[in-house]
Amino acid sequence: MTYPPGNPYGQPQGNPYGGQPQPYGQPQPYGQPQPYGQPQGNPYGGQPHGQPQPPYGGQPHGGPPQPPYGGQPPQPVPGGAPSGVPSTLDPHTLPDDDNVNPYVFCIALNGEWFMSKGAMLAYYGTIQFDAVTEYSSVQAWVASRFSSPVYIQDWVVAQGHGKLLIGDRGFDLNSYDLDDGNLTIKASNLCAFSRQLELKQSIVPGFVTLIGTGKFIASSNGPVIFVEPPFRADPDALLGWADCPAPSVHHDAQWMTQNVRGMISGALGRASGEERQYDFTGQGTILLQSSEVAREDPAVLRLVESQTQLLTNSQAGALGQRLIARAQQQ
Amino acid sequence: MALLTAHRRVLHADLQGDRIRAASGSMVAVEGNVDFKSSGMGGGGGMRAALKRAVAGESLSLMDCAGHGRVYLALDAMDVLVVDLTGDTLTVESEHILAHTEQLRLDVQFAGLRGMTSGQGLATTTVTGHGQVAIVSEGPVMALEVAPGADLVVDPDAYVGSRGQLSMNLVSGVSWKSVVGEGTGEPFSLRFTGSGLVLVQSAER
Repeated sequence: MTYPPGNPYGQPQGNPYGGQPQPYGQPQPYGQPQPYGQPQGNPYGGQPHGQPQPPYGGQPHGGPPQPPYGGQPPQPVPGGAPSGVPSTLDPHTLPDDDNVNPYVFCIALNGEWFMSKGAMLAYYGTIQFDAVTEYSSVQAWVASRFSSPVYIQDWVVAQGHGKLLIGDRGFDLNSYDLDDGNLTIKASNLCAFSRQLELKQSIVPGFVTLIGTGKFIASSNGPVIFVEPPFRADPDALLGWADCPAPSVHHDAQWMTQNVRGMISGALGRASGEERQYDFTGQGTILLQSSEVAREDPAVLRLVESQTQLLTNSQAGALGQRLIARAQQQ
Repeated sequence: MALLTAHRRVLHADLQGDRIRAASGSMVAVEGNVDFKSSGMGGGGGMRAALKRAVAGESLSLMDCAGHGRVYLALDAMDVLVVDLTGDTLTVESEHILAHTEQLRLDVQFAGLRGMTSGQGLATTTVTGHGQVAIVSEGPVMALEVAPGADLVVDPDAYVGSRGQLSMNLVSGVSWKSVVGEGTGEPFSLRFTGSGLVLVQSAER
């Protein structure tokens, strides 16, 4: 079942509360159907990308309708019937691999999917959740697909048959099709991906890279914005990027020198956070979310900790003292 | 008769000389001549309900709104859903109740083990009678149908309420392999069997 525009929440049938199913405004796909960059040489395997096709299906699949909050005045419901009542959903009326509403995605599970811990809202059928750590020792394909020791604790393998509903903090969910490509995404915003995809840890901390052909589901706080490089992004608003060969950290010297306070804190080695930006050059697409609210990612601690191996013992001691001082300040 | 109408995240309660009960502190605006007063202990359900709530740890603080006019109610910018009851029973987590009309009766039902895992107290609230009840949820509510042969498993944190002839069991999503080492992140779930509807919100608490 697809996600036809004009009928956002499935069939308006069998309404249990006798009211009118009131769709959340008109479905509006995110922006323009913008292919992720140009087809270009494939860095994995040397072969060109083939036909000039939109490598990832072009845009978020079944782009959920955006509730135009404030845009459309609430419609008075004739007859005083309750509004906003959802229609009943059952295993047959739930969509296959599509959005139920902007915040919930339904996976028609038949086999295995990788899932972020705690993303499950509900399911029909027989589905078992196993930690990736246990799974990888039993089945070799899991270990070969999931090559990130830092994130392995936060993921499970959902296995079985049925309809699986997932959500993430009430954020907007979108599914993306990856066609022999690569996409790097903020680890805390990745909800699920199909077993055909390969997950690797990105060099940029807090991000993971998906490689191959398959489907994945990611959340965003607000609609996703697609931008083409050259572009500089705030690290908190950055959701991910596709095909960009060179993300680099940019320190905005102007920000630091344009006011006295910035200069002082810059000289002391402190940072306000705003001068640090990610700089993207080359071909590709950058994904942004419209909010800077970040979730605490437990993997970042493990990631930074593993990096401290680079330090000598005396350096590690100095860092430890600085961290203690910082913790006591707060 | 008082009329409740949901407008996305705000509930409009039109009063014509009668009264409704609403969650304390949920009033955002009022038109007309409406009096507010605390319903007292037990959310107006009387001394027995108050006692049961105290034992069960199910907290519910309601106020009476009476008069002529329109009251605008909202809670933490959560989505509002109005459910019409015609003599049947709706089971709902007390923290999700925004308002209900006067004719409905609220009671406490002991939920057993479930409350221990989700940290929502040992009990859940039942709403019975003829009238309207407004419930709030993080994101829109999905009404998922349970029928024989189509059992539903729900994350306790996403569960809002249920209606119909349902029995709820606590299931452990943890396989024997998970007992050693880390959990799967879905340690306990609620399995619903029978026939009825389960209301699920789109975010976890």
